[in-house]
Amino acid sequence: MTFADRFRLSTIRSRLALGLGVLVAGAVFGALFGVVALRSMSNEIDAELRSLREVSRLNAAVQGGTLNTIATAEAYLASPSPEIRERLAALSAETHALRLQYRKLSELTPDERLLIDSVSRLQSALEVEYGLAHAMADLGHTADARAMAARARVPAGLLTQTIRTLSDRATARANAAAQSLQDSARTRELLLLTLAAAALVAGIAFSTMTLRAVQSPLARLVRSAERLGEGDLRPVEHGAMATEFAVLAGAFGSMSARLGGIVRNVVDESERIAGSAGDLSAISEELAASSGEISTSMIEISGGAERQAAKLTEAGVAAGELQQAATANAEAAGRVAQLGGEIHRVAERHQDDVRGTLSALLELRGVVQTSAGQVADLARSSEAVNDFVALVKRIASQTNLLALNAAIEAARAGEHGRGFAVVAEEVRKLADESAAAAEQVTETLEFVRRQIEGVTRTMQEGAQKVENVESVSEGAARGLDEIIAAVAGIEEAATNVSDAAGRNRRAAEAIQSLAADASAQGTKHAAAAETVTAAAEQQSASTQEMAAAASEMLAAAERLRKVVTGFRV
Amino acid sequence: MLAPPPPAPYHYRDVVTLSPLKRIRAVPRWRRALAFGAAVLALASCRSSDTIVVGLAGPFSEARGLSMKRAAQMAAEEINRSGMLGGRHLELRIMDDSANSARAIVVADSLRQDRRVVAVIGHLTSAPTLAAAAVYNGGSSPVVEISPSASSPDLSGIGPYTFRVCATDLAHGTALGQYAYVRLGVRHVAIIYQNDDYGRGIVATFRADFLRRGGTVDEQDPVLGPETDATPYIERIQRAGTAGAVMIAADRATAVAVLRLLRQHNMTMPVLGGDALTGIQDEGALAEGVYLTSNYLPERPGPVNAAFVRAYQAAYGGDKPDHRGAGAYDALHLIADAVRARGADRAAIRDYLASIGTAGGPPAYDGVTGRIQFDAGGDVRDKSVVVGVVRGGRIVLADTP
Repeated sequence: MTFADRFRLSTIRSRLALGLGVLVAGAVFGALFGVVALRSMSNEIDAELRSLREVSRLNAAVQGGTLNTIATAEAYLASPSPEIRERLAALSAETHALRLQYRKLSELTPDERLLIDSVSRLQSALEVEYGLAHAMADLGHTADARAMAARARVPAGLLTQTIRTLSDRATARANAAAQSLQDSARTRELLLLTLAAAALVAGIAFSTMTLRAVQSPLARLVRSAERLGEGDLRPVEHGAMATEFAVLAGAFGSMSARLGGIVRNVVDESERIAGSAGDLSAISEELAASSGEISTSMIEISGGAERQAAKLTEAGVAAGELQQAATANAEAAGRVAQLGGEIHRVAERHQDDVRGTLSALLELRGVVQTSAGQVADLARSSEAVNDFVALVKRIASQTNLLALNAAIEAARAGEHGRGFAVVAEEVRKLADESAAAAEQVTETLEFVRRQIEGVTRTMQEGAQKVENVESVSEGAARGLDEIIAAVAGIEEAATNVSDAAGRNRRAAEAIQSLAADASAQGTKHAAAAETVTAAAEQQSASTQEMAAAASEMLAAAERLRKVVTGFRV
Repeated sequence: MLAPPPPAPYHYRDVVTLSPLKRIRAVPRWRRALAFGAAVLALASCRSSDTIVVGLAGPFSEARGLSMKRAAQMAAEEINRSGMLGGRHLELRIMDDSANSARAIVVADSLRQDRRVVAVIGHLTSAPTLAAAAVYNGGSSPVVEISPSASSPDLSGIGPYTFRVCATDLAHGTALGQYAYVRLGVRHVAIIYQNDDYGRGIVATFRADFLRRGGTVDEQDPVLGPETDATPYIERIQRAGTAGAVMIAADRATAVAVLRLLRQHNMTMPVLGGDALTGIQDEGALAEGVYLTSNYLPERPGPVNAAFVRAYQAAYGGDKPDHRGAGAYDALHLIADAVRARGADRAAIRDYLASIGTAGGPPAYDGVTGRIQFDAGGDVRDKSVVVGVVRGGRIVLADTP
């Protein structure tokens, strides 16, 4: 908390007023203080002077009274008379009154009071001693009277001394008072100076404060104004300042806030317009496309409608055919059912015959299987011959080779070898004949083997056939059963088909009538589609115009946005 | 016969009594301030809050001060016993002034400087009371003094803090003048007076009344006290032979000295005196027939006084109180009432006393000396005095006119 806050110096006016007030108050207070000080000093001086005057007057009066008393008393001693006694009594009363006045002085110190008391006692003593002296004189004791009067000089002397002391005291008191006045004057002077200095300091302090309170906010406000000029409309925190400036700052703030608000609104609007324009443009494009599509679709629809009409007409015909087919179907189904019944009955009749055939066939199979085993044994024997023939062939081949070699040797041996060559030739011929015999055996064997194979195959085929016959007859039996079942299914199916055909016929009839309606409607659709197409084309044209306008608007919005982005909000 | 009177040492002594004060003054101011501060601290730390101190100043070394001291002590005991000050203890600070005005000034200064002292009862006689009055009324913190018996007319209105519960010499002197002229038929009177405030005061009032009635004052002779040999005056009065009565305006001791001279000279004319003579009845035959005034006699009717006298006699072996005792007794009760009503503050006590019997103030106080209600001069209004006479060692009411 600053000094300014604490004293609620929130306005320049209050600061100035306070500063001036303090200065004026200081001045007034100083002046008042000076006046009061002067007055109190003059009062003190007055009182002191009065007291001093009173003291010196009383001192003089007491002294005078004492001297008078002494003189008068002495006069009485010289020539006693009642008048002098009266005068003495009067003097005594006078002195008493004086002493009373003296006592009533308020500014006396206790020792001054004691001195006055002494004066009083000495005067009393003086009066008593003169009174006694007078009485002695009246009685005629003149010498005693004189002696007594002489004694009275002691208190008289003391009295004078005491009065002088009193005067000295008064003087001392006056000096002390003067000193104290001087001191107090100096103190007051110092106080006044201090006051002036305090007022000066306060004045300077307030001036500085006020200056600061003016300059700093002013500078801040100028900066704000410059920022505002540069288009910076963001809110500015000005900080604490005097109320006047705070009001100005507030005005600045609200101005920039309002401007900012406007600019913000404009920016928002332009953005929204741009957005809308963009959207519009896009939409119009889409719309254009859509209308294109629509018109295309419409054309298609138009065509489609016509086709549909034709198709529907076809459908009507087809439905009619379907109806007829369905009717035929129903009839066929009825016939199938009838046939099924007949098949059923036949199958049941043939079932026992098939079973007899099957058992005969099974016996035949046993015979065939036995024959097949004997043939197989024969085949195995022919293969052993085959192996022997192969051995003969191998020997014949080697003998042929040896004969060849012997022929070659015999040739080399020339004449000597001719014989040998003949033998060799003979051997070779033998070998060839052996080989040819072997070949013949092989061929024969091959023929036998083929015969066996044929028998085997026939046997196998027979066995196989018998086997097949078994399975066929079983299958036939099964097939008969199945046929009976199937026929029952067919009968049912035929009935179903017949029913379905009836339903189909009815449906077809309905389709036929619907198709007829649809055909009419389709024709109408085609006409409407043509109208729509025309409208869509028109719309398309308008949409394109709209798209053009939207893009212009978009451009305008863009320009606007560029303008307002100059402001910072 | 005409032996020179003894030297007067009091002249010097009284000047010498300055020395204690001088010594105080000689101490540097800062040390005085320090000492004073220490004293204040010491006083503050001791039971200053639960003790009420009242000064009691009078000539307690003398017979005339005895009744005042006893009655004041009795009143203090009564007040403390009653608990009327709410647990605070009333304490007397008793200081002897020897009926000497110089001594009284010192005593008064000491009492006034003592911050514990809320009020003073004193002084007993006129001269010290007058001398001390300026002290009690002066300074930054004046303090109330209530005199039980100082009758000087000069005391009236001397200061706002000075009160007395007795009648003034205006009453005493007038009563005596009237009695002498009317009852005793005296036309010529000789006056021997003590040359102090008391003597001069009562002489002035007596003389004024007596002259007004047509009487003549033959002589008016001053004495200082019992030490003054008044023989020349007595002889002169005797030689003149005109005086039908002798008025002794002095205290008891002085009056006794003068009376003795008169008897020595076989002068038997009536002797009159003020209430300062009270106690002279104890002088035996010498005092027989002496007329004296009083504003209080122990026989004064009324239950309040009867109870007081009874208690006093019970406490002090059958002795009867005198007017000074009765005055002191009333004065202390008044101060206690003021403290109870306004607190232990000097100015508050003064204001309380001044407001007694006024509109909005406390009611008039019915004390043993009668109804008390102060006038602007600090005197009790309508305080009547009676003239008594010594008969057989007792003061009895003289036949009033």
